[in-house]
Amino acid sequence: MADLRVEICGVKFNNPVIAASGTYGFGREYNELYDISVIGGISTKGVTLEPRLGNPVPRIAESSSVILNAVGLQNPGVDHFIKYDLPFLREKGVVTIANVAGSTLEDYGHMCKKLDGLVDMVELNISCPNVKAGGMALGIKPENVEEVSRVAKRELKKTPLIVKLSPNVESIAVNAMAAEMGGADCLSLVNTFTGMVIDIEKRAPVIANRTGGVSGAGIKPIAVRMVYEVARSVAIPVIGMGGIMTGEDAIEFMMAGAVAVQVGTANFTDPYAMPRIISEMSDWLDRHGIDNVNEIINTVK
Amino acid sequence: MIKDLISTVKDNRVIAENVYMITLVLPESAESFHGGQFVNLETVDKSLLLRRPLGVCIAEGNELSLCYQVKGKGTKKLTEAKSGDKLKVLLPLGNYFDLSGYKKVAVVGGGVGIFPLIAAIRENKDVEFHAFMGFRNKSAVCLLNELEKCRSLTVTTDDGSYGKKGNAVEAFLSEAENFDFDAVISCGPPVMLKALKQRLAERDIKTPCFVSLEERMGCGVGACLVCVCKTADGKNARVCKDGPVFDINKVVL
Repeated sequence: MADLRVEICGVKFNNPVIAASGTYGFGREYNELYDISVIGGISTKGVTLEPRLGNPVPRIAESSSVILNAVGLQNPGVDHFIKYDLPFLREKGVVTIANVAGSTLEDYGHMCKKLDGLVDMVELNISCPNVKAGGMALGIKPENVEEVSRVAKRELKKTPLIVKLSPNVESIAVNAMAAEMGGADCLSLVNTFTGMVIDIEKRAPVIANRTGGVSGAGIKPIAVRMVYEVARSVAIPVIGMGGIMTGEDAIEFMMAGAVAVQVGTANFTDPYAMPRIISEMSDWLDRHGIDNVNEIINTVK
Repeated sequence: MIKDLISTVKDNRVIAENVYMITLVLPESAESFHGGQFVNLETVDKSLLLRRPLGVCIAEGNELSLCYQVKGKGTKKLTEAKSGDKLKVLLPLGNYFDLSGYKKVAVVGGGVGIFPLIAAIRENKDVEFHAFMGFRNKSAVCLLNELEKCRSLTVTTDDGSYGKKGNAVEAFLSEAENFDFDAVISCGPPVMLKALKQRLAERDIKTPCFVSLEERMGCGVGACLVCVCKTADGKNARVCKDGPVFDINKVVL
């Protein structure tokens, strides 16, 4: 049995397979299907300073090999998360990454201050529309990426900071370097690609929000390319995601330079995707005579 | 306990215009299913990443029968499933029509909304059911053999091509005062449920009424917050996990 343990910014993961934000709630529902302590970690549903009800329905659409979502950050707020959801995750012993989203720079600062020392890592969602950026996401322009990273890092004295990068940008490698400059300890990518599906009978978008974030198997080659580019542009560790459905997909991201991966949409296709992917990774490594998963990171020729 | 089982397709046939019934054989008993619960079923097309949430119509022995209307790519693909095909099915999902304590129940169904109601009728054998079922036209009428298990059955069609001309809500209301129903269960298109709620309020009928809702879903287990509905207290509820069955007065329709 290959050793699947990885360490990111001093945080020890039993394996490199982390639940991607927004697909796994705060872990409770999937824990009814299997013991979630088997997964590497969980990036929580994105939390905001105040509770949010999110977008109108329909919030989801499907296209070949992908899905689109526009949930709009429905969440109970950071205080509720700390009081009611975090204790459950702590009790399960699963590495907990709090995914945070703000509509102002100050929001990010306040939330990081509240979460510092309480969670294993904080992951910034900088893909939501932002007041500071005139309604545009903070994750688009490199100077905004750097600034929000700096604001968050200032409040995080104990907890390492992950900045989650949007792929809807001019150069994801430039934004990665900007996040690193701002003090990010780690990067995760890719967030979803903005897309649209139209119901041609109704001549209207399927999703009430009109556009949504594209995820799932179909985006994988683009995500792998972006992880590859970013891993070569920064010195900090990179967590890769985008369309991982199998253990082989996860291995591919790690070869491209990721130290760990996140799994999202696959949980909808196969509710047992995460434990399956972990065992498929282990089997692949065994078949190839590799006894430690760290040996495959960044090994693409 | 929710499980993901590998089922074997036994039968998949047309039961009304554009409506199919698929029968799955499970590796274990299906009898613990409650009327109103649903499953999340794979389609036969691997490029479709989402499963299809389908209400259970008949649970008997190791077999589950689910009905679906062909609406999009996924349900169209599902019609291609043949006897012997293996399909993964996540179950049981959601809550159900809990009729414990009720003796005389009105069943108000419209179109493909009749299927979870049939499951509730089959399950609660001690309840006296009076069904009011509305269809678009004669070619949409199906499963009358199941509905005839009710003490009384009124079928309506929009165009009068079968049964009474009219709709299920009005048919129910015209009888509501003659019977002394102690509960109403309903499932059907949003416009029908909305009309039911409105008419119950207008007539000041206080009989408890439970409705099963439908929404586009992601995970099916309550994690992704895709399939929400608005609740009367200004919050969101998850159709897949907090529902699909709700007290009609506690949701915004």
